[in-house]
Amino acid sequence: MQNKLSFHQSSVSLEIVGLPDYSNNENKDQISIISQWKLNIVDKPLIEGKIEHLGPIMEAFYIYSNLLIKNEIPIYESELIDIKADNLHVHNIVLKSSKPNVKPLILKIGNSLLSDTINCFDQLSESSKVRIKKTGFSKNIPKKVRFGVFNKVRIINFIIPPFIAIFSLILLSSAFIYFHNPIENKEKNEQINSK
Amino acid sequence: MPNKITIWKLRNNNPLRKSYVNNNIKPSEFDALIKITVEMSRYLYPYIREILKSKEDLEKNSVIWKDFNKRLIELIKERFNLDSMRVKKLLNQNENDEIIVKSLLTLSLCISNKGYEKLKNFLFEF
Repeated sequence: MQNKLSFHQSSVSLEIVGLPDYSNNENKDQISIISQWKLNIVDKPLIEGKIEHLGPIMEAFYIYSNLLIKNEIPIYESELIDIKADNLHVHNIVLKSSKPNVKPLILKIGNSLLSDTINCFDQLSESSKVRIKKTGFSKNIPKKVRFGVFNKVRIINFIIPPFIAIFSLILLSSAFIYFHNPIENKEKNEQINSK
Repeated sequence: MPNKITIWKLRNNNPLRKSYVNNNIKPSEFDALIKITVEMSRYLYPYIREILKSKEDLEKNSVIWKDFNKRLIELIKERFNLDSMRVKKLLNQNENDEIIVKSLLTLSLCISNKGYEKLKNFLFEF
């Protein structure tokens, strides 16, 4: 008997079907081996697939929404899914089937359905009852967010400019040593004194 | 946040406000404001969603968007410094749609349990 879990957000629902990993002594309610998933958007065709499709589709939605908010060109293209904005309010999704001779599924969704879908995916990734391999999910986190790296970069940026300034000052002033000739100066002084 | 007055004072750190005072906001206060915003957007998600939906199809249902936009502009005129160029841009009907839609979308994407981290990330990206 397979377990079934559903996540709902307004007009979108996500259903996950699978089994617990008994070899890890997991609970009966747990889902670690996902056999099927269904994304149901009201008034749109049903989207379903295997576990290997769920990760890339979630990743596509996360990356696309980040691009959209960050005022960058909102386009995401991959072998499985393309998402691009028709305008500020309509997003065009093309889902390509892995089976030959199957036409791609084209959906147009607005901002409200886009946020519902991403909130369903958030519920799934935060659920303690479902374990999914999080390959590539870190990609949707913007680079600046990795605070450790960000702080290191800031410290380096803070230290390097004065260091370069002092180093170049030393280098430049040491070059003047070659122009300075103490014997020549002595001779000049002697000539002045003799006069 | 010990009380509502502290929140009220913190709002004055916004340089767009008429009552702008630079109090040098502390990181803990910044975090607290983000947490309050996330809680509010979680609570108001159905409304935010309806406003976004209304804007998607103005021919069918434009009332919600028009009401929201009217009230927002009223509040901006009442509380923001109208001499600022950024405020003028917010009041410009041709330019403000994108700013408002993207701000609402950002809030609507930050209602999960990890919404605090998400919103903080988005803010660092600005």
